[in-house]
Amino acid sequence: MKIVIRFGVERIAQLVLVVFLVSSLTFWLLRLAPGDPAYLLLTAHNIPVSDEALADLREELGLTDSLGSQYMNWLQDAFTLQWGTSYVSKEPVANELLSRIPATLELAGAGLLVMVLVTFTMGGATALYSSGWLNRIGRGAALLGSSVPSFWLGFLLIYVCSVQFGWLPSMGRGTAAHLILPALTLGLGLGTVYARVLRSSLLEVMDQPFVQATKARGLSKRRILFFHVCKHALLPVVTMMGTSFAFMLGGSMIVESIFSWPGLGNYMIESINKRDYPVIQGYVILTSFLFVSIHIAVDLLSKLVDPRMRAR
Amino acid sequence: MRMRTQTFTFLLWIAAAGLFLLSGCGSEKGADASKEPSATFAFPWSPSSLDPHGSDSWEIMRSGAGETLVKLNKELEPVPWLAKEWKQETPTTWTFGLQENVTFHNGKPMDAASVKASLQRSIEKEAKARDLLKIKTIEAASNQLKIETTEPNAALPAHLADPSVTIGDVGTLGKRGTYPALTGPFQMEEFHKDESLALKRYEQYWGEKALLSNITIRFIPEGNTRLMALQSGDVDAAVDIPVDNIDVLQKSNQFEILTAPSLRTHMMLFNVQSSVFKDAAFRKAVDALVPKEEIVQSVMKGKALAANGPFPDLLPFGQGEEKKETGSFEAFMKEEGWKKNEEARWEKNGKLFEINMLTFPQRPELTVMAEIIQSELLANGVQVNLRQVENIDEALAKEKWDVAMYSMLTAHTGDPEYFLNLFYRSDSSSNVSHYASPVLDQLIAQLKETADQEQRNELALNIQKIITSDMPQSFLVHPETIFAVRKGLTGFEPHASEFYYIHSQINVAGE
Repeated sequence: MKIVIRFGVERIAQLVLVVFLVSSLTFWLLRLAPGDPAYLLLTAHNIPVSDEALADLREELGLTDSLGSQYMNWLQDAFTLQWGTSYVSKEPVANELLSRIPATLELAGAGLLVMVLVTFTMGGATALYSSGWLNRIGRGAALLGSSVPSFWLGFLLIYVCSVQFGWLPSMGRGTAAHLILPALTLGLGLGTVYARVLRSSLLEVMDQPFVQATKARGLSKRRILFFHVCKHALLPVVTMMGTSFAFMLGGSMIVESIFSWPGLGNYMIESINKRDYPVIQGYVILTSFLFVSIHIAVDLLSKLVDPRMRAR
Repeated sequence: MRMRTQTFTFLLWIAAAGLFLLSGCGSEKGADASKEPSATFAFPWSPSSLDPHGSDSWEIMRSGAGETLVKLNKELEPVPWLAKEWKQETPTTWTFGLQENVTFHNGKPMDAASVKASLQRSIEKEAKARDLLKIKTIEAASNQLKIETTEPNAALPAHLADPSVTIGDVGTLGKRGTYPALTGPFQMEEFHKDESLALKRYEQYWGEKALLSNITIRFIPEGNTRLMALQSGDVDAAVDIPVDNIDVLQKSNQFEILTAPSLRTHMMLFNVQSSVFKDAAFRKAVDALVPKEEIVQSVMKGKALAANGPFPDLLPFGQGEEKKETGSFEAFMKEEGWKKNEEARWEKNGKLFEINMLTFPQRPELTVMAEIIQSELLANGVQVNLRQVENIDEALAKEKWDVAMYSMLTAHTGDPEYFLNLFYRSDSSSNVSHYASPVLDQLIAQLKETADQEQRNELALNIQKIITSDMPQSFLVHPETIFAVRKGLTGFEPHASEFYYIHSQINVAGE
């Protein structure tokens, strides 16, 4: 019990520290990067702006304060979980981000599902038939999966499935049908790559003495694979999937923008273009929190899967 | 055992595929179910909020929900809208008579007091509205508004067409949980940020009632996706079609491409303070080398007009013909003591003649134009160092440059004063070329005080004469606005002003 508590306290302290450092760093980097939010807001339509209007808006947005006091204000906001107000919509940043989380969560979940399905069916099958045509297909798919950029795959899927055959909606969110193409775009490429990881991990475990022993006991190949090998081979794949899932939760900017998916990634591109500082900072706090939390979760999961890790 | 797992996996996949297909069919049936005439449009930008007095005023106006006191007609002249007439009493006082029988979308009648409140709110909220209107006081009396400005503002009626002064019932604006009550033919029904805005016909509309009962606007920032949404039938019309995609649509007989001249000007700025471009004669010589027609045909695919000045020809003060000087570049260089070396580059005392040119990624067509200009100058012996910067305005202020690509919306309310005053007045910080002319400053001051439309146009033309003779910028092209619509949808056409998209007379042919 004591160990569990120590583990928990340590990790939470780690979490807070990482989130604080990352978001502080973002604060300063943003201020150093070129671009004046007030100017960008006023010249959005490429109409020139007067000095008075610019000065007024800078004052209103608090950009005329010294960087030190801006930082202190932001720290205060961050700790009270207010995260400030968006320069563009004038709404609280927390609301803006929260309202986009369901869409991103939905897409990340579906993307993860595609990824898991592809990884396990393809990884399992190619390990089972480790030489032969199935394996060659798997290798080819992994090569394609890792080299085809997602924007290309996304447009290809829209072109084939929506424009040519009209099977699925081309963009937007709504029904489950809307989810299919973006989820495939998000999950396919990574799935084929992780299938290779799973395959080699499975094959490696299959060579170990304890598996030889199960073979000697006359168990079927499938039974060995599913009940004895899988558990040991999962570790590297789970770790990698955890990282990928964390990325997806942050909003996949490319996939969201191709499919006009109203999630965090799409919103972030816009906020970065408009230099909506409070939103970008809020997003960094949110995603760094998610990232570290998922890493902790993966850590816990590996301890569950692998008794050796528990001892460490 | 073996058989069982295999069958199980197979069934699992079949079930998943079936589910996907079912959900796909379901959505299609849902879309076809309604009998009322409706249409779906693809716009690039989603408003971040529905407050018409914020940075999203253009998007609100485009939805067909909002209206202003004054409208711009096809010729971009200010014409009555919510104001049925106006009169300038003294250089700084104006009276506006309001339309009768106008109600807001919540049923409340629009009167002088509510218009006053709305105007005051937009001035408070929006620096741009303050800037354009220069209002000192507003008096409301029955159905009339009396506006006093802080200084003579002859462009007041035109500027009242700016979307930042959309008229709404202030009690409903900027509130969470309610949709703003405006006065347009459509009222907002459902809004999903970054996703869609659904509107329905406003039955008590004061003008001609909308022909469509429902419209949906889908926000699709990515140009290719917008195109494919149109091709796949998810939307009936899409705005701002990238020029590269026009060919694809023209091959199909399902769609129509509609274009309108825009009020935008793509230009190449000269840094008047740089040692290279301090001489107007040289700026003109370089301008003469720019192959504008080639740019129109190759980069803009013919969907643009070659520019001769800051304002396009469709404006009454746009200047038509161009006086191009040819063959002066070489003579100019020789006169200045430059000689061509073995590589046919200009050189003086062992120093190569070089130009630093800036471009930026947000408007990719400008970078292509920059490359064309670069190669044209190279053919004339000039080394051009082309560099792309992320933030062009920051780079113009802080870095060393000689020429830079730029794009401006020059007369968005159909009036020249606002742009000329900010872009050319010698002490304005938006004067990015650092161009200073006392004569021009004086003419701009005169323009501010001139109320007569004829005289204003005359003045604007005179100002442009000075600009084209001093050439602080090389004006390249006026791009066109491009819409693509499915055949059968009528009335959805681009307007030179970029904020009138949806109106009451859009209709779909009966199926």
